[in-house]
Amino acid sequence: MTKSIATRSALGAASATAILAIGLTAALAQAPPGFSPIDRSNPAASGQDANMRPHPTPPTPTPLEQIPVGKLKLPAGFKAEVWSHGHPGARTMVRGDKGTIFMGTRVIGRVYAITEKDGKREAKVLLQGLTQPNGLAFKDGALYVFAINKVLRYDNIESKLDNPGEPVELTEKFNLPDTVHHNWKYVAFGPDGKLYVQVGSNCNICEVNPGTHGQIRRYNADGSGMEIVARGIRNTVGFDWHPVTKELWFTDNGRDWAGNDGPQDELNRIPKGQEGANFGFPYCHANGIADPDIKRPNPCAGVILPAALTGPHSAGLGVKFYTGSMFPKSYQNVGFIARRGSWNREKKFGYDVVMFKAQGGKATLSPFMTGLLDEGRNEFYGRPVYLLQMPDGAMLVSDEQNGAIYRISYGASGGPQRVSRQ
Amino acid sequence: MGRAAGRSESRASNGVMHVSTAWWRPLALGLAAAAFCADAAFAETAALAERIRSCTACHGEDGNSSTPNIPSLAGQPEFFVMNQLFLMREGVRRIEVMMPLVKDLKDEELTGLAKHFARLEAKPSGEAIDPALAQRGADLANLGRCGSCHLPNLSGQEQMPRLAKQRVDYMIRALKEFRDDKRSGADTQMTAVVIGLRDPDLAALAHYAASRE
Repeated sequence: MTKSIATRSALGAASATAILAIGLTAALAQAPPGFSPIDRSNPAASGQDANMRPHPTPPTPTPLEQIPVGKLKLPAGFKAEVWSHGHPGARTMVRGDKGTIFMGTRVIGRVYAITEKDGKREAKVLLQGLTQPNGLAFKDGALYVFAINKVLRYDNIESKLDNPGEPVELTEKFNLPDTVHHNWKYVAFGPDGKLYVQVGSNCNICEVNPGTHGQIRRYNADGSGMEIVARGIRNTVGFDWHPVTKELWFTDNGRDWAGNDGPQDELNRIPKGQEGANFGFPYCHANGIADPDIKRPNPCAGVILPAALTGPHSAGLGVKFYTGSMFPKSYQNVGFIARRGSWNREKKFGYDVVMFKAQGGKATLSPFMTGLLDEGRNEFYGRPVYLLQMPDGAMLVSDEQNGAIYRISYGASGGPQRVSRQ
Repeated sequence: MGRAAGRSESRASNGVMHVSTAWWRPLALGLAAAAFCADAAFAETAALAERIRSCTACHGEDGNSSTPNIPSLAGQPEFFVMNQLFLMREGVRRIEVMMPLVKDLKDEELTGLAKHFARLEAKPSGEAIDPALAQRGADLANLGRCGSCHLPNLSGQEQMPRLAKQRVDYMIRALKEFRDDKRSGADTQMTAVVIGLRDPDLAALAHYAASRE
């Protein structure tokens, strides 16, 4: 991989010189061609309420009795319960061979280990003080932790949950770009045994070097053998492989400040044999919408358009294809997407789990878990972020806002409610 | 307060116990409970006052810092202060000099400190504001949409700090840390906003922000 630093600072200096030379507003319109991480959105053009901003994530947990599980709505026969709670910033979930659920977070910097004891769940802080450790993967007894600009491997982790000790440092081996924005990681092992790693575009809207940013990569587990499997991505924060076709499906969050209604977020598929393909960012969005701020001729030429649009600013994160035996047969190989919900939209959107059936290269969305958005009051009660299928076929959904996990089960096989009350 | 609690207890055990009519019992229990609560509240306040004193040595008596490179806390959004103290305690936002001060704080104390500083009035630091730089900063702030998160008057909200009347030298330092990916425990959004800006641009932003009312 080529180092991005030299390119970045040279172009950054060029842009800054241009700003000084020709004045600020003009500089953005006339910035020199090439890659620059400077945000190129036009504040005057979007017509949106200028005071929208990201919603805060509480660092403290929501008390059990205030967790909005009672608001959740599911198709007939499904039920939701609080499976565990008291772990603020709850995001990514992976399951160890011995049943430990490892949970990654963003700003709070923790990795939790959730274990089951006497029918009760216990969440403990396994690691803390990391920079946004959102990327977790588990293989051969080892927990892989991807924080921003840090890759750590804890071997044999489930036998030392009380004292994980010193990890094997793999940061140098993976040699990921040193930029921070949109680089909290999502990672997962594919059916080919390779470790797939997100590398976001470190801006809202800008021209990034497609050789270093806006990608999905795959590596051998030790960080060697890097290949770029998808380019032209703004920021994917979740992916999974179709159980039959083994193709990779991923979410991509669309740009902000180009209007309330889009460009919509995307669900994409890398068609077999097209690894390395281009998905359009920053020139081509959604179903072929040219970017209003960064223009070039034929912006969508050669771009693989999405399998489905997933809604404006809806922030689709986790993707999971269902392969369990608990849900009805019609749910076999159905995909689920957790949508964290909008911030850059005046009327809030998302805050739910949708499902989709993949047919060829396309997919149609339908609701699955709703109830966390009150459209009338334009308020939300929770933010679903990631999904995990359990061995019994139940589906876990993490709620970042409330520091909780919901268990979605179907029919009589739902099992007794075993929430530990503190 | 401690003495008052003692008095009500001794009164309750001062022979009155032999009076068989029970009408006074809820009252006495109520008094004792009220005295206990007041006592606990006092202890809490005293502990909080002690904590506040350890903050104001550097951050200013009234939360307005007159120490170079040390930020003012007066008028900061309550959630912002609580969240940052939490992240410092957690070791996510690593500031060596703050570590011993925050490491033993309980969540309630973080909230207590946050409420205290949020109530105080922000005042200008007295540093010289360069009007030309401030004007240039205003243009940059418009391009960077600073007002969408920090509010148009830059008084801050929720997880986003007040910038108006903040120290210029502190903001220049903080902006450089954001730009150079050196700031731990922050939302990366700030890095994305100031990436590619040169030092004079950051100074302009700081002069503009400090000059806001």
